[in-house]
Amino acid sequence: MSEPLLKVDNLTVGFPSKAGVVQAVTEVSFELSPGEVLAVVGESGSGKSVTALAVMRLHPKSTIITGDVQFDGRDLLAISEPEMRSIRGRDISMIFQDPMTALNPVFTVGSQIVEAIRIHRDVSKEEAWRRAVELLEMVGVPEPKRRASQYPHEYSGGMRQRAMIAMAISNEPKLIIADEPTTALDVTVQAQVMEVLHDVQKATGAAIMLITHDLGLVAGAADRVQVMYASRLMETGPIDEIFYESRNPYTRALIDSIPDLEGKKETLSTIPGNPPSLLNPPSGCPFRPRCAMAVDHCAAEVPQLVSVSAVHASRCHRIDDMIPAGTGVSS
Amino acid sequence: MTALDETLSSPSGRGKEPLLRVENLVKEFPIRAGVFRKTVGHVQAVSDVSFELYPDETLGVVGESGCGKTTLGRTLLRLEEPTAGKVLFGDEDVTVASKPRLRELRRDMQMVFQDPYASLNPRIPVRDIIGEPMRIHGYSKSETREWVADLLRRVGLLPEHGNRYPHEFSGGQRQRIGIARSLALRPKIIVLDEPVSALDVSIQAQVLNLLDEIQAEFNLSFIFIAHDLSVVRHTSDRVAVMYLGRVAEIGNDDELYESPRHPYTQSLLSAVPVADPRKERSRKRIILQGDVPSPANPPSGCRFRTRCPIAQDKCAEETPVAQDLGGTHQVACHFPLAVGETLLERVESMGRTVDVAGG
Repeated sequence: MSEPLLKVDNLTVGFPSKAGVVQAVTEVSFELSPGEVLAVVGESGSGKSVTALAVMRLHPKSTIITGDVQFDGRDLLAISEPEMRSIRGRDISMIFQDPMTALNPVFTVGSQIVEAIRIHRDVSKEEAWRRAVELLEMVGVPEPKRRASQYPHEYSGGMRQRAMIAMAISNEPKLIIADEPTTALDVTVQAQVMEVLHDVQKATGAAIMLITHDLGLVAGAADRVQVMYASRLMETGPIDEIFYESRNPYTRALIDSIPDLEGKKETLSTIPGNPPSLLNPPSGCPFRPRCAMAVDHCAAEVPQLVSVSAVHASRCHRIDDMIPAGTGVSS
Repeated sequence: MTALDETLSSPSGRGKEPLLRVENLVKEFPIRAGVFRKTVGHVQAVSDVSFELYPDETLGVVGESGCGKTTLGRTLLRLEEPTAGKVLFGDEDVTVASKPRLRELRRDMQMVFQDPYASLNPRIPVRDIIGEPMRIHGYSKSETREWVADLLRRVGLLPEHGNRYPHEFSGGQRQRIGIARSLALRPKIIVLDEPVSALDVSIQAQVLNLLDEIQAEFNLSFIFIAHDLSVVRHTSDRVAVMYLGRVAEIGNDDELYESPRHPYTQSLLSAVPVADPRKERSRKRIILQGDVPSPANPPSGCRFRTRCPIAQDKCAEETPVAQDLGGTHQVACHFPLAVGETLLERVESMGRTVDVAGG
């Protein structure tokens, strides 16, 4: 194990509102090693995107944020804004779900990549343009020379996402945060973009934090996964241990509720009810009101994240009752 | 589950008369340009689509964005006026029905929309949203009140919820409200347009199970439009795969998913990520090149040929017509794959290459 690239310790993020503080992330700790692909999964409102935004320090000013974020030996929550700006886009870059809102519609794609390069590096415009064309070629944009001079609206959705990836890797970042990078894309185009991301990761050795709701993408792309629910980390571990030997009722329920492409017609197992309010979270375990295994103790106390092995941890009072064999997806 | 049992006992319900027969349905939209909005061309969103829908069955319609699946659903109910073709409900052609007659027909044919946030009027209480079709069709107030309360219970809400407004509900609950509304007149057919794609996976499963239950209880036929192939497989007895306005392949779900014969169906299935790391590592994924072409300017001949790794000259010259493969299975391809043949094998036997990931 090498030194972690990113070390998040006890991160808590709250958004003040008229009705009180919305607790979006609660005491989240994790590490990411160089070259590793970590998936963060969860449903809407689980805190997966807010965790990433807090690491990038892209949250609004009024946000209440505590904890510790160490990246490559620097304390990201303590450094000045100019220092942070020099890290953003150079050492850490981000790929958003909707490339149309992330790309500027009035500049050509090439010039936006040139700008991304020249903010961090002292190179001539011509040099940066050549690099931009190279990057577009690398992510599979056909006729990159001509396409570099086009505007984002002249690109299709998949091409725009490729352009975003080209921009994200323009400064050879150590960490790429991809927030639902393919959610807006069709499935055949999604396969193309995930392949590009995979190739880019191999070529640059960057670590990737892949934020997604799609457990299928996780199974195909990630090394490790952490499952979030109602602002908390519920389980974390290597993908095989999470998919086949989960020790958390929420993880299992989530996996079991996915319809199978291989077509078993029986009634899907569901998670009853809805995720809790982040303004007024239930006492004890956040999943308790919907959990089939909940006991009285679950309402009394928030379970701790307990290690199952050196790399696998789960937050559940009944962790010892969760027999590792026989999760829903094992075939 | 009844739908499934029946289709199993008589292959795809063919023993029965179809409830709905769609023949050569076409829907064109004009492309307008300039100050006077002059029509400069047409987009054929649905071109020459034919299929049958049997009682108690679910026909899934899958495809990527722009394939015409949503327009197809809307055209069936005449929420869009069809350009050509017939939609026969029993012996009656829905496409030529008069306005008052159409209102009658819509008792039997209802729709549930994708976006539970946009499809419910935010200004009226849920009770009136669900009861509105009954008011239009002249039911008494007391009758309506009782049935709405029943429906609310049936879809897993409480009768008291009728007094609330749509914004007070979560996405999954709103979709339940939309389903209750579609059931108000006890229709025979419900067209479901991406009914669960806006929902989180745990909520999605709840709604899919609810649809299963009400289908059996109300003897419904569903046309289930979705982009998610796993969801369609789970819900459907038969599946139609659409590409750029045309049906590429149609068959019962086992035929289609276990031995897809159209190169597009195989590529599409191969692109779906499966929530199973071992399977993901072991399978080879065919990566199609490029994007779906613009429907305003579709390729000549077979519309898939520009992305098809096994396309030949004939594919550019002639439009493939649906050919029977036995049973209910039909494919529109000049060079369909054999049973058990993978697209990758065909590509390799032709001495060509294709982008493959994984494996």
